[in-house]
Amino acid sequence: MTCEDAHLHMHDYISGELSPEIRESLFDHFAVCENCRNCYYEASRMAAKVGNLLKSQAPPELRSAVGRMLAGA
Amino acid sequence: MDVAERSRFEREMLDQLDGLYGYALHLCRNQEDASDLVQETYAKALKSSDQYSLGTNAKAWLFAILRNTHLNEMRSRMRKPVGLAGEWIEELSRKDVSELHRYGPDPGVSFMDNLLGRDIEQALDSLPGTFREAVVLCDVQGMSYAEISQVLDVPIGTVRSRIHRGRMLLRHLLADWHRFAGGEGAE
Repeated sequence: MTCEDAHLHMHDYISGELSPEIRESLFDHFAVCENCRNCYYEASRMAAKVGNLLKSQAPPELRSAVGRMLAGA
Repeated sequence: MDVAERSRFEREMLDQLDGLYGYALHLCRNQEDASDLVQETYAKALKSSDQYSLGTNAKAWLFAILRNTHLNEMRSRMRKPVGLAGEWIEELSRKDVSELHRYGPDPGVSFMDNLLGRDIEQALDSLPGTFREAVVLCDVQGMSYAEISQVLDVPIGTVRSRIHRGRMLLRHLLADWHRFAGGEGAE
């Protein structure tokens, strides 16, 4: 696998969209390419950060309003 | 719908509330408008409940309704979304992906740990809209490429490339801000 391919596949892997066969080749590449390995660690940490920091919970009053709307329809 | 189906429909719709609110908050930027948008989305979903089959993809269906509702409102208000990094990021977003890779990660720099939610929000705001929404739907809402393709109404290949490029741009923005701010490991 080339570094170019690894960059494309690592994002699919982070998104949970990579097939097991390609995943194996990707991690074989990481084992021998420090730059791609570092890119992967950084990209996966960033995606996790984005996910964790921007998660929201609906306010209770909105939940009640939507619940009423659904039940009353 | 009989009583059991009705109750299942309610449950499937309500299960998406937190995600929808988070997405609405991202689009509207304030809690009041986000709550209004979510309520409007549910009102529309109820009106067209015959278009939804129980047990299919409530998430993609509701997110698509919310997004279209928001886009229509934006159009009617003629409000243009603004980003912080403007032209620079527009130019960067046109660069070839391989060129973006060339910047690579800086060895030993771990600016990710010091990021605040506000930094990430601002950086996301600076991304061109097409990349921003793909990244938000994937990384914040945990949607699959197929679901995002349904919400954005674009092919899966386009979703994939927007997410890839969007994350790369986001990384460059955050790294640059970190450098400007003189954060740890910037030297």
